[in-house]
Amino acid sequence: MQLKVDKTLVASIALHVLVLGWGLVSFSSKAFESVPEESLPVDVISADQLAKVMAGTKSGKKENPKPLVEKIAEAKPVQENVGKIAEKAPVVTDTAPPPEPKPAEKPVEKKPDPPKPVVENKPKEEPKPVEKKPDPPKVDPIAEALKKEEKKQPPKPVHLASAAQPAKQKAERVYDETQIAALLDKRDPSRQAVAGEALNSNAALGLAKGKAADNSATWGALFKEQVLRCWKKPYGGIEATRLEVEFSIKLKKDGTLEVMPAAQTAPSSPFQRVFLESGLRAIIECAPYKLPQAFFEEWKYFFPVFDSRDL
Amino acid sequence: MSDQHKHAPFLIGRRQLLSGLATGLMLTSVPRARAQSRVIVSGGEAAPLPIAIPNFVGGTPQDGDVGVGVTQVITNNLKRSGLFAPIDPAAFIEKVVNIDAAPQFQNWKTINAQALVTGRMTRQPDGRLKAEFRLWDVNTGQQLSGQQYFTSPEYWRRIAHIISDQIYERLTGEKGYFDSRVVFVDETGPKERRVKRLALMDQDGANVRYLTRGADLVLTPRFSPSTQEITYMEFGQGDPRVYLFNVETGQREIVGNFPGMSFSPRFSPDGQRVVMSLQQGGNSNLFVMDLRSKSTTRLTDTPAIDTSPSYAPDGSRLCFESDRGGKPQIYIMPATGGPAQRISFGEGSYSTPVWSPRGDYIAFTKQGGGQFSIGIMKTDGSGERILTSGFHNEGPTFAPNGRVLMFFRDPGGNGGPSLYTVDISGRNEQRVPTPGFASDPAWSPLLS
Repeated sequence: MQLKVDKTLVASIALHVLVLGWGLVSFSSKAFESVPEESLPVDVISADQLAKVMAGTKSGKKENPKPLVEKIAEAKPVQENVGKIAEKAPVVTDTAPPPEPKPAEKPVEKKPDPPKPVVENKPKEEPKPVEKKPDPPKVDPIAEALKKEEKKQPPKPVHLASAAQPAKQKAERVYDETQIAALLDKRDPSRQAVAGEALNSNAALGLAKGKAADNSATWGALFKEQVLRCWKKPYGGIEATRLEVEFSIKLKKDGTLEVMPAAQTAPSSPFQRVFLESGLRAIIECAPYKLPQAFFEEWKYFFPVFDSRDL
Repeated sequence: MSDQHKHAPFLIGRRQLLSGLATGLMLTSVPRARAQSRVIVSGGEAAPLPIAIPNFVGGTPQDGDVGVGVTQVITNNLKRSGLFAPIDPAAFIEKVVNIDAAPQFQNWKTINAQALVTGRMTRQPDGRLKAEFRLWDVNTGQQLSGQQYFTSPEYWRRIAHIISDQIYERLTGEKGYFDSRVVFVDETGPKERRVKRLALMDQDGANVRYLTRGADLVLTPRFSPSTQEITYMEFGQGDPRVYLFNVETGQREIVGNFPGMSFSPRFSPDGQRVVMSLQQGGNSNLFVMDLRSKSTTRLTDTPAIDTSPSYAPDGSRLCFESDRGGKPQIYIMPATGGPAQRISFGEGSYSTPVWSPRGDYIAFTKQGGGQFSIGIMKTDGSGERILTSGFHNEGPTFAPNGRVLMFFRDPGGNGGPSLYTVDISGRNEQRVPTPGFASDPAWSPLLS
């Protein structure tokens, strides 16, 4: 029995084997590299806690009075950008559009002499455009004035890139990719270093170690999350007034209660008493608490406030 | 930046970090905030309180059964209220044998109980039954309440209801409502030949007693404040009449002798008067009758149907239903008559208003959109709240504490109506067990 072998089939198989074999060898040799990311402590906090973290204050004390200094030279502090928004000057760049001619006088002032009378006349003509064109009176008179000026080819106002401007405007419709480079800002990148007497690389107002995590939003949220699990909030009816009861808690380092929590609020109604007792039960039942050891000084003695409000 | 991030709670921009730092500075400037912070614990759902109610121990071996019965009634009451979550006795670790010693609270903490009820039932030498109970706070180890009662052995259920009220009041801050009764219309037989009898039962559906034989049709029974009398309407041989029924003696009498039909009666809060509707041609007006002097006073005089009057708990005002504006709506007027003020303005028509014993709400039946709903509104008509809607819901009546409503619901079809309770927030709807079909419930005041 003779076996008839198709040569193309053989070639195909051989090629497949070759390609797959190469792939197996070359791809398996090196595992994908995964750079271990440094983990960040993430804490879920509520919107009002976030608002507290974010809220700044103008009267706040500055803990780091030393200004940012990157270069030792004659003191030339960079202006603080906090609270001085009003003094900010408008930024003018090459690519910025020409200032909009809002007030009628403005273009007049900028223009060199020749077009002056023209411009002055134009606004006067504006009420009459109906005679010349059937344009609706909506047309911006100033825009039209500018158009006419352009037709008359008045000297351009002094612009930084004045030389390139007229040429480009004529060739507006022509796309020339070799000219793209002309659009680029050819100035050298520059950066002003903050000069001062002593180097200080800390740009923040606060201290380098960052105190944001110190406020109670972090460990407080941890405490809240844990105590909520045990809190059987009593149902106060549909017209329940908002209640707040405050306790004082002393915790040991392992999170257990050092003493029985004490209520700081005296109950004034039967329901307030019930509400207070429910909070007390929750605090006791949920101990020990797992709170960050770094802030033990803060949570060893604090005042949880149970609020009847639903979130 | 990375250094700061290590301390930041989450990724935030430099500017945000900056303002966060500013807050930190601000907080430190408040002297107390530095060392002792206030942590606000808010949110969280209102949750039923986990409560352990081990069987009441018997003072003598024979009293064990009644102890178990009392425990079951208490457990059932608290569970039905929706505010408590009684723990399954199978989970109990400790068996209470002596209620005079403090329980091992750790054993109850383990099963997540926050409250614990222990009790004992003892038959006295004189034949009476002594009931004792203690309510404990498991977490603080404090006794919150403790009482003892003496009663005839046949009233053990009432003792259980009274203890339930004590627990409810101590743990919710509201008065209880378990030691109360409900009068209703019991319905039996096929739909076209329904037999309707007046019946009385405990609020949990136990101890049903039939007050009438069912020869005549009865409607709208209402308790007197003393719970000794019931006023209702009955279709006798002639016109429907308002009757007064004495629960103890079984005697009944007609209230007044009026030419036309009299209906929808209700007692005044002092029990001295009955207010009702009298038919006058195609209209009906409200009249009040003094039960002692039998003198009748007209309260309204309109060419409309005024009916379903109900007193405010202080007896100063009445709410009632009237179609003087075209559709049935709820009106309020002084109890002595005078100008009436409309308070219901929603879509549809309103009927069967009833004033809460607390005085804060008026419950009603609302008809509209092809549905019958039970709702409440404040006494000035604001804050309307629909608690349940469906094919047919009608006739709300308040529990003595004004926190729960009972009403009847007819699902339609060949079935019949049943009684339901619902919390005035619309939560926790529960069916009330009755022997047959039931309608027109009226809740009594607290018996004790």
